[in-house]
Amino acid sequence: MSIPAIAPTITHDDATDAAGRPARRRRRRFEPVAGPLRLVLFLIYAVPIFWIILTSLKSPGDVISSQASVVFTPTLNAYIEALGNAGLFTALQQSIVIAAGTTALTLAIAIPAGYGLARVDSRVTTIGLGLLIVLQMVPQTANVIPLFQIFGAWGLLNQNLGVIIADTALLIPFAVLLLRPFFRAVPDALEEAASIDGASTLRTFFSVMLPVARNGVATTGTLIFLLSWGEFLYAVNFFLSPGNYPLSALLAQQVSAFGINWPGLMALAVITSVPILILFVCTYRLLREGLTLGAVK
Amino acid sequence: MTVETSSTLSPATRRAATRPAWPAGTRKRRSPSGNRKKLAFILPAAIFLALFSFYPMVQLLRMSVSTVNSSTLNSAWDFVGLANFAKGVQQGDLGIAFGNTAIFVVVVTVLGLLGGLVAAILLAASTRMSAFVLGLMVFIWALPPVVNGSVWKFLLGDTGLINAMLGGVGLTQHAVPFLYDEHFALMSVAIVNSWAVIPFNALVFRAAILGIPAETFEAARIDGANRWQEIRHMIVPAVRPTTLVLTVLTVVYAFRSFDFIYVMTYGGPGTATNTLPFLSYLQAFVRYDFGLGAATAVISVLLVLVLAFIYARSIRSEEAH
Repeated sequence: MSIPAIAPTITHDDATDAAGRPARRRRRRFEPVAGPLRLVLFLIYAVPIFWIILTSLKSPGDVISSQASVVFTPTLNAYIEALGNAGLFTALQQSIVIAAGTTALTLAIAIPAGYGLARVDSRVTTIGLGLLIVLQMVPQTANVIPLFQIFGAWGLLNQNLGVIIADTALLIPFAVLLLRPFFRAVPDALEEAASIDGASTLRTFFSVMLPVARNGVATTGTLIFLLSWGEFLYAVNFFLSPGNYPLSALLAQQVSAFGINWPGLMALAVITSVPILILFVCTYRLLREGLTLGAVK
Repeated sequence: MTVETSSTLSPATRRAATRPAWPAGTRKRRSPSGNRKKLAFILPAAIFLALFSFYPMVQLLRMSVSTVNSSTLNSAWDFVGLANFAKGVQQGDLGIAFGNTAIFVVVVTVLGLLGGLVAAILLAASTRMSAFVLGLMVFIWALPPVVNGSVWKFLLGDTGLINAMLGGVGLTQHAVPFLYDEHFALMSVAIVNSWAVIPFNALVFRAAILGIPAETFEAARIDGANRWQEIRHMIVPAVRPTTLVLTVLTVVYAFRSFDFIYVMTYGGPGTATNTLPFLSYLQAFVRYDFGLGAATAVISVLLVLVLAFIYARSIRSEEAH
């Protein structure tokens, strides 16, 4: 997934929207055209996935003759070779450290910001939102050039921390804009009640706002993890040797090399995607609701 | 850049207005001081972004007017004015990249929006099949672009699945060089990029379609509207505001996109898939001319500012209606 741009709330009755109008069940009806079209849509998205798995089970010889063949003797050699390589575990570990670190740091910074921008209506908020929108539009390639120089001067090159910081800076605008409507949807009365009970602003934030907006936090956290798992431009440029690459960077490096070992590459792609699949299955319902609420509402 | 309309009251103010029973004194006392305090919550993000987003932008700007290569990267830079920009234009790369970017953005936006709307209409029905296909599509959207790009590079190869299918039905005699012909390459990457963005657009369009009251559809059915009329006269007008926002989002997505280009063609063959953002990357990290790369990047950031301006304007005019 590339970072989807997020449009901040346009309508102002977020509260009713976020309360979640129950999804209406559309009646089933006989559609002679839609059925086959749905099948076509399914094939367009299923075949590439199927082909990754199929190819990862081939031996390199099967791929040279024809990359499209379906009849072959399946082999797990590509996986055995990949898993036998100690470098893979280093890469997996790097992916986990970078994705988890980025998720934690981004949430720690973006949650308070999302809350502040949701609750204060002033010139500062307007300017802040405008800047965030512009920032999330800036191409990543425009960030990587100065960051390479700055990190070089600050000794952050070739370090996980450097990549985590760069990923966090890249994802904060997205995270804040996604979180803000969730906080906006929390009724003011709830906060007022807490403050009448004598809770401080900070306490109200932690024990009232955060629990109520937890769906938003979970959605954002998941997306940040997915995005930083797939990010490779910073990793490829800020790590000076491939020995430190996370999985995504390894994949990017191998696919642009000459004489690609396709079964090996596809096995690597499958290994890179398995954690995504697990996370996706656990959070799909959340993502489906959260994205449509936060993205364009 | 203003997105919030100035005419709209904050929810707090609105609620206070509709609730006269609320003791006015408490509210007046609490609101401003409470709000002021809440601005402090923005501080960590402001500091972090100032250090790692805005300061880099300043450095980028400085680089773009200096001579910077890999050996002078961390020493004093010679100021050269607009020489880097002039160099980019003279080499001809900049013009080509402009054209490529325009074609790329148009193709991805048109296909991404049309595909997203069609998919949303097809998947709006709550059948098991629809739910499954939607889930599959969103999963593919969630996969790293480097995985999706790798698969398509494989499928579009000379002996890949697409060429095997085209040859199989007798459409082509020879393999189509999808990724290394200068006419096909840009289109191929743009189409794959659209494929990757359609699931997100479909998800958002689908939410808009599900928001249409069921009674509207029932009334139309009673009046004898067929499915096509339903789409044309009810769904398309209903998703108009969504389309506006999604158009901007898709344009931005297409403009920023570099990952599929990186994986599938690396800007080639020649300059055929050099878009502005990718060209700046090549100039800086492959040719090690950081000044030249920074100049190209500055141009793409300026284009982003123009886009943001148009975006804010269009939202304001939409709200004025």
